[in-house]
Amino acid sequence: MSGPTGRLAQIWHIAMRDLKQRARSRAFLVTMVLIVGLALLMGQLIAWESGKTPTSVIGLTGQVPTGIEAALDSAASAFDVTIDVRTYPDTASAEQAVQDGHADVALIGTSTMVWKGDPDLRLAAIVNGAVANLERRRQAADLGLTDEQVAALVSPAALTNQRLTQVDPEAEPRRIGANIGTFVLYMAILLFGQFVMMGVTEEKASRVVEVVLSRVRPYQVLAGKVIGIGLLGLAQVVILGGAILLSLTTFHIANVSIPSLGGGILLSVIFWFLLGYAFYSVIYAALGATVSRQEDIQSVAMLPLPLLLPAFFISIVALEDPNTTLVRITSLIPPTSPIVMPTRMAVTSVPPWEVAVSVGLLLASTYGLIRLGGRIYAGAILRLGAKVRLRDAWRAAE
Amino acid sequence: MLSCEGLEKRFGDVVALDGATFEVRPGRILGFLGPNGAGKTTTMRCIFDLIHPDAGEVRWNGAPVTSEQRLRFGYMPEERGLYPKMAIREQLVYFARLSGMGRGEANDAADRWLATFGLADRATSKLEQLSHGNQQRVQLATALVHDPELAVLDEPFAGLDPIGMEALSETLHSLAASGVGIIFSSHQLDLVEDVCEDVVIIHQGRVVLTGDLATLRARSTRRHLVVEVDGVPWAPDIPGVERVETRHGRPRYLARHDTGIDRILALAQQEGEVTRFAFEPPSLSDLFREAVAQ
Repeated sequence: MSGPTGRLAQIWHIAMRDLKQRARSRAFLVTMVLIVGLALLMGQLIAWESGKTPTSVIGLTGQVPTGIEAALDSAASAFDVTIDVRTYPDTASAEQAVQDGHADVALIGTSTMVWKGDPDLRLAAIVNGAVANLERRRQAADLGLTDEQVAALVSPAALTNQRLTQVDPEAEPRRIGANIGTFVLYMAILLFGQFVMMGVTEEKASRVVEVVLSRVRPYQVLAGKVIGIGLLGLAQVVILGGAILLSLTTFHIANVSIPSLGGGILLSVIFWFLLGYAFYSVIYAALGATVSRQEDIQSVAMLPLPLLLPAFFISIVALEDPNTTLVRITSLIPPTSPIVMPTRMAVTSVPPWEVAVSVGLLLASTYGLIRLGGRIYAGAILRLGAKVRLRDAWRAAE
Repeated sequence: MLSCEGLEKRFGDVVALDGATFEVRPGRILGFLGPNGAGKTTTMRCIFDLIHPDAGEVRWNGAPVTSEQRLRFGYMPEERGLYPKMAIREQLVYFARLSGMGRGEANDAADRWLATFGLADRATSKLEQLSHGNQQRVQLATALVHDPELAVLDEPFAGLDPIGMEALSETLHSLAASGVGIIFSSHQLDLVEDVCEDVVIIHQGRVVLTGDLATLRARSTRRHLVVEVDGVPWAPDIPGVERVETRHGRPRYLARHDTGIDRILALAQQEGEVTRFAFEPPSLSDLFREAVAQ
């Protein structure tokens, strides 16, 4: 083995070892199955819940007009409400039904609607409309009009809706998708960044790193670990994203193709995961090299959060208002850009140059971090014992 | 042949290496000896470029060591460590491949070393499931799995029982017989003097003695003198004989090599019945003390 091919092969061996060991660990598999199961289940629950159209119960008693049930049904269908009509023998029992919640409203004769509390305006409109409609039919029949004339008289005016601003049917699904995507992106960067950190500290704690470093350069170990765990992260994002997407395709929203919308968001999450993970995993790796024991990881694991958490919170703001100055700026510069930019892109159209600047800055700063983090890693990884200060690690590596 | 030439290394105010120079010859077992903190581990880390010397150079057959050449070296660090939760055969294959072996070659090498150390039936066991002694064997196998031309072993005898030491010693001799150059460190000079053919004794970062052990011992101007008269330790009070230390409650005496044996024996016989008499080349410890005293 010699030259760059050999070095790449070594990095590959390191990456594959990390990938296999981590993927085989029971904790990882269990978490994976749980997360995917949860994603599928949640999607199904939401679909089932939203697929259920609520049924309103209308109670009738007293001298209600004939044909009231058919009139109620047609009025309800105009409002896209499912109703169930029940007849009660007297006012008292109808009121009792409302009181007990068995009926939402009771119509007494043609004069009174009984509610438990405040009237449900939509239901009131349905009942009112049905009663008024029947009343008009009756009056028209009294005047001796033909059925056609009655129908013409009582049919509602055919008004069309004109929208001054075009409503994008994808806006809301897009926002929900972006919300899920942002969360997955944030969690994946955090989780797999920490896996890199744990992997680095494990090798240092078990002292095996000296055996490894007698064969390869520190940057190769760093690169191999970041790549191996990154590939695992990529697989998990794809599987998890796929599961969420799959379970959401059971929704039917007019004029929206969930697979193409969600697929776009998933691709974006994958792209930005790779960029964001590369940026953060190097930070995590360098920090992981400064501690010698697993127990000490806690003392450094939180350090990247002041960079990562604001990105997440600003993204949540961006979901509602993607065009504020804060959102624009943080979507352009690291460390917030890998999470804020994709969120912003999902909910609004971002000028291509801004995306290019964001990606460019992120790549450039990741390169800088690899140099910096690589040197800290090299300077700290063989220094056992107390936590190594970053400055000392920097000086130790030449 | 590996040459360390004038290695210098400081850690802050501490001088770890102060111009260490020596060679490891192919097919020879070199004992790299010295007290704790003498610079043994630092030297070994320099060989693998884990530490960059402030000055000096490590060379292989006359040229500076490249990372490609370094893959032909095997290293067993003082701080033992492998992956605790990884199957031992898998680890051996991994390290063999990291050293540049192809898949088939690496598999064969792993199986061969597992068989050598009697661990073939434990191939799929995780490292942490093995006994301490077996873990030590896997560690050594890791250093040797890629058939290195040079084996660098930091304190390989530490923590071994006499049987383990014997087995390791045999392994090292058969490796050397196949042409591998071996350098191993130890701070227990007495325990390893039978194992090594060459020695480098390092003290405070400087090589104070180096060469073929038998020659060094023979060339020493001192002899180790042990006399017992009527079962009681005794030494003549004559110039050239000095008491060096009391060990295990017994005095030890060193004599100049040209002090006549006959004369000492005659003096002893005047005292009573001589029950023990030895006039031998000095031990490694004696050589070390001699070298350090200069």
